Amino acid sequence: MTCEQLALLYEEYALGVLEGRERAELEEHLARACPNCTPGIAKARWVVVQLTANAADAQPPASLRAKIMDAAKASPRTARNDVPAVSARPIGKPKPIERPQPTSQGAMFPAWAWAAAAALALITGYTIRQMNNQNDQLAQLRKQMKLATAQNQALQNQLDMDHMVAMVMMSPDSMPLKLMPKDKNMPMVHAYLHPHMGVAITAEEMPSMPSARTLQLWFVPKAGKPLSVAIFHPDAAGQIALVAPVNMPRDEIAALAVTEEPAGGSPQPTSAIAWMAAVN
Amino acid sequence: MLLAVVQPWPEGKQPTDAALMEGILQGDTGALEALYDRYGRPVYSLVLRIAQHPSSAEEIVQDVFLQLWRSADRFQISRGPLEPWLFTMARNRALDFLRLKREKQRRREDSDSDILPSAVVCPDPEGDIDRSRRAEQVRALMISLPEAQRRAIELAFFEGMSHSEIAEAMGEALGTVKSWIRGGLIRMKESLAEASS
Repeated sequence: MTCEQLALLYEEYALGVLEGRERAELEEHLARACPNCTPGIAKARWVVVQLTANAADAQPPASLRAKIMDAAKASPRTARNDVPAVSARPIGKPKPIERPQPTSQGAMFPAWAWAAAAALALITGYTIRQMNNQNDQLAQLRKQMKLATAQNQALQNQLDMDHMVAMVMMSPDSMPLKLMPKDKNMPMVHAYLHPHMGVAITAEEMPSMPSARTLQLWFVPKAGKPLSVAIFHPDAAGQIALVAPVNMPRDEIAALAVTEEPAGGSPQPTSAIAWMAAVN
Repeated sequence: MLLAVVQPWPEGKQPTDAALMEGILQGDTGALEALYDRYGRPVYSLVLRIAQHPSSAEEIVQDVFLQLWRSADRFQISRGPLEPWLFTMARNRALDFLRLKREKQRRREDSDSDILPSAVVCPDPEGDIDRSRRAEQVRALMISLPEAQRRAIELAFFEGMSHSEIAEAMGEALGTVKSWIRGGLIRMKESLAEASS
């Protein structure tokens, strides 16, 4: 998933409700200190902790402050600049390592013991090989399970997205818009602009696109530069169904526009508008 | 004999969270006291709401502030303000406690004899104005939400439930729960952004 798609999930991640593939993908971005998702999550955490306001205001016992301060004083912090550069372990002359005196092994172990050791080594080798085979099979099974889980999750995500699209489409608060294509051979794109749930985009019979290109939805403001809303691809059946957040007050939006951009999207449109609808 | 009170910041001017964290890094317990005075009460309120038990809440809050004292070097002000870091840590600790308690309850059939006292509700005499205004706004927003949507968000925040756990607990479709939570959070984000602009 792209950072833009994941941005829809930041607050849900901070709230701790996200599961499955979406959570794993977001965590993967955070693990590599993604420059978009890391600050996005920090902001989302700030939003989510504001829910603390719904807890009844309660006065902690007066003794708690003293307890905390006593415990802090009992475990004083070392000032950052005072951290010793070397280990505080006492330095002394290292004790020489005592090594066992060499013995005559031939005299110690009879021939039958050597044979038994060799047999044991053979059995151990065989067992290790068997275990490796089983581990390979187990790894293969795990891989298949992971794939099945990912497919299942993808289906579930699609279902959830369809459900959200339907909710936005059916809401009486949504403003339906028709994005007309500049190319008459292209199908129309439908948009439903909801003040809180986001903007739902649907289309059918869209032509397939090369993976190096993407479609990008923009809010064109009454004044100023277009604002990117979402990047998307038609699926294998040529369908589009997605919901993106509304990141601009509705009365400031003059139009919705779709352009074709390089994969990953562009900060500003780099090609002519392919679909557009005026917002009244 | 006159004793001078040493104050590391100008009188009447409140030190920032970043300055106090820097003080903690230098081993200044006064900075920890100042942070406790600033955040102790809302942190305790949050933890008590989740843990539902005053003595456990006390232990968790103590643990949180000692963690702040010991691990201050892990906090970087350049990566965001202290408030979400502190409250997220407090919430996680309280939810861990809640999960452990539930697990123990599942294993033991005998009921807990402790009576849960209600929270001591009293006005906030010297709370930060911005924080109070934000809190008021969030409360107003939550009240304006339909009951089920509010419940879903509360189950997530105060009980630490995931999307599917909430759907199961409420007997609702997963997609519906996701929409409720997403819609509620978007509204909250917009409302907070409007207030700060």
